[in-house]
Amino acid sequence: MKNEFIDKWKSQVKKGTLSFLVLNAIRKKELYGYELIEIIKKSTSIEIAEGTLYPLMNRLKKEGLTSSKWVEQESGIPRKYYILTNEGKITLKQMRKYWNELQESITKITNNEI
Amino acid sequence: MNYKNQLLKLRTMKFKKIKLKDKNAQRVYDNYINSLRNVLKPILDSDRQEVLMEFNSHIYEHLQNNKSEIEINALLNAIDKLGAPEEVLKPLIADKLLEKATKSFNPIQILKALLLNITNGVSYIIFFLLYLSLGFFVFLIFAKLFNSNVGMYYKEGKFQVLGLIKGNADYQEILGYWFIPVMLITVIILYFIITLILKAKRILNNKK
Repeated sequence: MKNEFIDKWKSQVKKGTLSFLVLNAIRKKELYGYELIEIIKKSTSIEIAEGTLYPLMNRLKKEGLTSSKWVEQESGIPRKYYILTNEGKITLKQMRKYWNELQESITKITNNEI
Repeated sequence: MNYKNQLLKLRTMKFKKIKLKDKNAQRVYDNYINSLRNVLKPILDSDRQEVLMEFNSHIYEHLQNNKSEIEINALLNAIDKLGAPEEVLKPLIADKLLEKATKSFNPIQILKALLLNITNGVSYIIFFLLYLSLGFFVFLIFAKLFNSNVGMYYKEGKFQVLGLIKGNADYQEILGYWFIPVMLITVIILYFIITLILKAKRILNNKK
């Protein structure tokens, strides 16, 4: 077994799906950064370099897929909440469609082989 | 909340340091914030403030969610998981620096931004070479000061060479000392054109 190869492949898959995961997570409910990371970690067991999430969120915002706002907290350390824009919702729909198609074809291929 | 309000709010919402109970934890935290500030130094004030607040909020929430742990351990965990600032923030800084440099047309900023972006594609190497080639024109200006034969040479009404041709009557130098302002203006115009293309490329890249 080529462990090194598998690890590299895994990290590529994670990198490629992170934005998809993030968009799904903030579809219905606005989340702040730390909360968002915790949800992704819990539900997917994906360990991300947490610092990379914030630049990613910036990029999604620039693309017009998300919007964000700072909300003052009693502690004096404000939280930044992220939510999908309408454009983001439409985009996510298309991404999901593609994801499902991909999943189907992968299942077909893997079933044939086993 | 509209954009303008948000900006106003951000302006009033300044970065605020977290107060920790443990002295050593406070030192570790202060060091981390300082290194963040250092890494973010080249980018615009407002962008720096934004990233600083994002990371600070992350650390604070992590500490709040891990109160049962020893403070300094929780802090170190939060910092470890965020990753080394210079590494995780490199793409962001490279892009923001390019944005800033193509706005200000400041050659030193452009050079810095290109060097940071050089691993992001061949085109940045080409831009680097284009800027470097401007150095040739600057060199010619200085060369003219030391050797008045340097100039723009024509032969039979056709442009031949920028530089120096010795002892050949077929070639005529046509600019004389006008050579210096002409070269200077050429450099400035080319500099603006290359920088505008670089700016357009950056915007296109981000749209992709």
